[in-house]
Amino acid sequence: MLLLQGALSGVLFGGVYSLMAVGLTLIFGVMRVVNFAHGDMMVWGMYLAFLLATGAGVDPYLAFVVCAAALFVLGFAVQRALVDRILAAPHEMQILLMLGVALVLENLALVAFGPEPTRVRSPLSEATIWLGPVFVDVARLVAFGVASALTLALYLFLFRTDLGRTMRAAADNTYGALVIGTDVRRVYAVAFGVGAACVGAAGALVAPILPFQPPTGLSLSVTSFNIVIIGGMGSLLGAFVGGLLVSVAESLGAVFLKPSLKELFSFSLLILILLVRPAGLFGRRAS
Amino acid sequence: MAKTRLSRRAFLRSTAAGAAVLGFPLPLRAQPKTFKIGAIHPVTGPLAEPGQACRLGAQMAADAINAAGGIKSKGGLKLELLLGDTQTKPENGRVEAERAVGQGAQMLLGSFDSGSTNSMVSVAQQKRVPLLVDIAAADPITANVAKSVKEGQQKVQYVYRNFPTGSSFGRNAVQYFTEIFKEASVSPKRVVLMHANDLFGTNQMRGFKAAWEAAKPSWEIVEIIPWPEPPSDLSTEVSRAKALKPDVLAPITRPASAQLLLPEIRKQRVELMGIVGPGSPGLYEAGQFAVLKEDLEYVMTSVPWPSFKNPRTLAVAEEYAKRTERETGRRRTFDTNSGYSYDAMFLIADILERAATLGDPDAIVEAMRKTRFAGGLMQYGGPILFNEIGDNPNAIATMIQILGQKPVAVWPKAAALQKFVFPRPKA
Repeated sequence: MLLLQGALSGVLFGGVYSLMAVGLTLIFGVMRVVNFAHGDMMVWGMYLAFLLATGAGVDPYLAFVVCAAALFVLGFAVQRALVDRILAAPHEMQILLMLGVALVLENLALVAFGPEPTRVRSPLSEATIWLGPVFVDVARLVAFGVASALTLALYLFLFRTDLGRTMRAAADNTYGALVIGTDVRRVYAVAFGVGAACVGAAGALVAPILPFQPPTGLSLSVTSFNIVIIGGMGSLLGAFVGGLLVSVAESLGAVFLKPSLKELFSFSLLILILLVRPAGLFGRRAS
Repeated sequence: MAKTRLSRRAFLRSTAAGAAVLGFPLPLRAQPKTFKIGAIHPVTGPLAEPGQACRLGAQMAADAINAAGGIKSKGGLKLELLLGDTQTKPENGRVEAERAVGQGAQMLLGSFDSGSTNSMVSVAQQKRVPLLVDIAAADPITANVAKSVKEGQQKVQYVYRNFPTGSSFGRNAVQYFTEIFKEASVSPKRVVLMHANDLFGTNQMRGFKAAWEAAKPSWEIVEIIPWPEPPSDLSTEVSRAKALKPDVLAPITRPASAQLLLPEIRKQRVELMGIVGPGSPGLYEAGQFAVLKEDLEYVMTSVPWPSFKNPRTLAVAEEYAKRTERETGRRRTFDTNSGYSYDAMFLIADILERAATLGDPDAIVEAMRKTRFAGGLMQYGGPILFNEIGDNPNAIATMIQILGQKPVAVWPKAAALQKFVFPRPKA
């Protein structure tokens, strides 16, 4: 029974993990830039949901739309103002820049909201459904549903719309895209914005479940990287499946091992994948 | 030409030298002499809330001491805090302590979490700068130094602590658990201990377990469930605890983990006589009430707590609440963290009053060892003094309970302001 409960909790929480990883993998897939500020952007999504809930009484399960839009603007601006200038620079320069952005975002949150951990209250986040001895946390169920729907919407956007196709074209062959008249700079900024919007929505959805404070971003970034590497850098499906895998692994780790060692499960999974399939589960091997 | 150039250089040289001799010492002489104390706490990072409370407590006490005339036996010497921030990173305890000593700190104060406090110890011992630990419970912080001094590896112990140790926390908690169960005429049998797996949480768990094994009470610790701190999810941990059918859950939390744990206990409908913590932050701070609300009601925890029967404590608590409201927009409770740091500064003032000289760190240590200070605002079992380990055996915990959304001292009877509610009412 404990096993069933653990697996169920893991799958439901995995939806949010997937959504945050999808944003990261999109940015990497299109621009080859690793967004080290990803977790901190998510924390800002959480704080926006908090502001909307406490200031205007908007439920976070509705506020995620606003959070996604706000983070889209932030991502777009960061790409245009900063990332765009260092796209051709060595990776270590990109890493330094993104770490700088992460530090700025974290410390702005500290100044604006203070150091205490907080969470957003929502009527949904208080509810549970009991199926015999197993319980379903409604907050996780809703977060899982919305996160899955958003991931599907992103997939359709990338594969069924002109802008999505242009994005993939720019990712596959930047020079070719330029030759046929694509505004690659704009495409990159939109891709960064969409990636940030995903993590902004994930932040709002997780705000009633997970307590957060300004430094929470780092652990979220690390978890996102873990998921994206397991799933395959740049792979949307990989990020989705990776999110579920990592979450279930941690949940079952808490059942089978001492719970304090549950992260051992997910990071062992990472090492195993790197050994057996270095490009990740759904990643393409570098030529 | 050469002669002209030389004389101009000579002129510049002598002007610069004159400025250095005449100008530079003047501002130095104009500054009042102070005794510098490196006050190092985690004011950013995950433990920023308690760290900021510590800093404000120490600052308020230093202001009060200075306003009352400073260290009178040393000509009204004023205290000056050199503030440091560990950013909640253990290694930064050492970095910040070294920086403060480099800036002239003659004593160190800190640092709330056991990890960074432990890293301050080496600076105190190597540089011969007395360190007063205001908050940090891990036993080895003082015990390791006392051992190396006893074995002759080091000459003098520069590290002293006015805070309960993990093992004394454990003894207090087991005693209070047993007494409260008896007083309530109930006999819970099964206690599940859940804890954060950082240095503090693990040390608290060990202290509680060791005290329980030694006391052999009528109740049993049926399982110990640790979690990685900070956790992202505690649902499986709570499911595990629930499957054990506990009468009492004994959590050792941090603020973030408490925000995950308590709602999860409610959601999973874990039927309990009560949630009774052996001692940890996260269950009584102002910020936690705003988030956890009714989930905190009836929760008990054994923590070092201010003696609110003391009118001076009430006055300082009111000043603290006003100051936090002015500076942060929220009235905060004068509690474990602000209280122990406040007491630490008055303790330092008492030590400096009695020290034969302040120029020799060993003279300060000598005064520390002879401490008998009864002016603390926290609940103590006697005057503040230091045993052979460098700990204050009279630093004790009080069992507090959240009643009407406020933390209230409920045990021992001498400290209690209200009668406890146990078992808690069924939902």
